[in-house]
Amino acid sequence: MLKFRDYIRVESKAEYEKAIASIEGPVLLLAGGSDLLVQARQDDRYEDHTVVDIFGIEELRTIEDTEGHLVIGACVTHEAIAQSLLVNRYAPILAEAALSVGSVQIRNHSSIGGNLANASPAADTLAPLAVLNAEVVILKDGIESVVPLAEIFEGPYKTNLGDRDLIVSVRVPKLSADVRHDYTKVGRRKALSISRMTIATLLQTDENGVVTRFDMTMGATFPCPMTFPDISAMLVGKRPTKEDISEVARALSAKIPEIAGIRASTRYKQPVCRRLSVRILQELIGDEQHA
Amino acid sequence: MRKINLTFTLNGKPYDIEANPGARMIDVIRDDLGLTGTKEGCSVGECGACTVILNGDAVASCMVLAGSMQGADILTIEAMSELKLGNLLQESFVEEDAVQCGFCTPGFIMSAYALLKKNPDATRQEIREGVAGNLCRCTGYIQIVNAIENAAHHMREE
Ligand SMILES: Cc1cc2nc3c(=O)[nH]c(=O)nc-3n(C[C@@H](O)[C@@H](O)[C@H](O)COP(=O)(O)OP(=O)(O)OC[C@H]3O[C@@H](n4cnc5c(N)ncnc54)[C@H](O)[C@@H]3O)c2cc1C
Ligand code: FES
Ligand code: FES
Repeated sequence: MLKFRDYIRVESKAEYEKAIASIEGPVLLLAGGSDLLVQARQDDRYEDHTVVDIFGIEELRTIEDTEGHLVIGACVTHEAIAQSLLVNRYAPILAEAALSVGSVQIRNHSSIGGNLANASPAADTLAPLAVLNAEVVILKDGIESVVPLAEIFEGPYKTNLGDRDLIVSVRVPKLSADVRHDYTKVGRRKALSISRMTIATLLQTDENGVVTRFDMTMGATFPCPMTFPDISAMLVGKRPTKEDISEVARALSAKIPEIAGIRASTRYKQPVCRRLSVRILQELIGDEQHA
Repeated sequence: MRKINLTFTLNGKPYDIEANPGARMIDVIRDDLGLTGTKEGCSVGECGACTVILNGDAVASCMVLAGSMQGADILTIEAMSELKLGNLLQESFVEEDAVQCGFCTPGFIMSAYALLKKNPDATRQEIREGVAGNLCRCTGYIQIVNAIENAAHHMREE
């Protein structure tokens, strides 16, 4: 039995705003609960919190197709994202990452908003959202604003959101059909475990094999989601050779000690990252690779 | 903590109950409703023993708070013998030797039921993925996947 002060279930954003205005003391937002239930069992840390259950807010459950973006409601489940035709068409790397979360039982009752707000460095949607240049819509003090994804994170398990700040949606720029992608997840135990390292890659070439877009980053590796313009610049404008690929792999794996510092896992992660990056890029560049 | 009122349909029957909002769905099902077919294994979403169907989706009832039952349509293992596909699954699990100690069986049957309702033509690989969130410490999974495949086959024939 979890302990908190009170529990309120809201069914619209308007009800949500009314609820948080009237609650005294700290608020705890509840979406699917797949992170919260694990955390709340450990101690009575939420004893003085009022739980506001937002999982039933229909407005947060839709995936909208606007001109340039997919707008994915914060309470859309990982399973709904994985199965969405829109996401598979315009941001397939995110669909793939969502499908890799836990098991179907977990994916059916856990949300993209919770995955972000929990801010686990190992959260599967973070690296794909980073390479997609996603933005987050936040409702704070009655005002909605759009901020770049990276801006909400302060460190592992830490965002700059207040207890009453609501992630409303994630805005994902739509990819054109010729952008290739790869999402690689290593080190999972059974089907369920949280990944130990992921690599998210987007690559686009023109008809001559010249790279027009390249974004690559790791997940479960850095304190916050990261993008690397310097790494992107290593391939954009080029017809990548084998050497170019090795250099990208080396530069990317060098980010691990550079950003995360040298840790016990660095010795394992760096070579894995290098080898996987070579394989991923070779596959994405495919026949167009030049000797 | 103030109790909450929950109205929902479970195994086709309407309920209107008071529940502790700090209770998990499995607590309500087992303790408040006395339906003990749903098992609790790991309590952290990893073993699938507690799987039930919430609005058509398989969920781990140890990872869902009571509030999510509000207005929902819920199925537990107790309903299976009343439903055609549920019945086929139960028979098939026995026929294929997919049950040893039986602790995992309700969870597997619920996952299989949700999967085959959505995708009656599920391939062997899709079946494996559909039950990837269910652990069995006794069988080698092959019998379980066989049993589900068999039930799907019978379902399509009828
Ligand atoms: C068995 C198991 C396996 C898992 N496997 C994976 C995996 O492979 N990959 C992975 O990435 N994750 C995995 N997870 C964790 C994953 O389920 C969660 O990160 C999930 O996405 C959180 O969403 P939720 O809706 O359940 O959040 P909740 O638990 O409801 O909330 C999580 C946090 O976010 C806050 N919050 C939720 N929604 C909002 C919002 N809209 N605005 C502001 N704050 C909000 C809450 O207050 C809370 O602090 C696993 C979990 C389990 C139990
Ligand atoms: S008891 Fe719920 S998944 Fe193990
Ligand atoms: S039959 Fe014993 S755990 Fe599966």
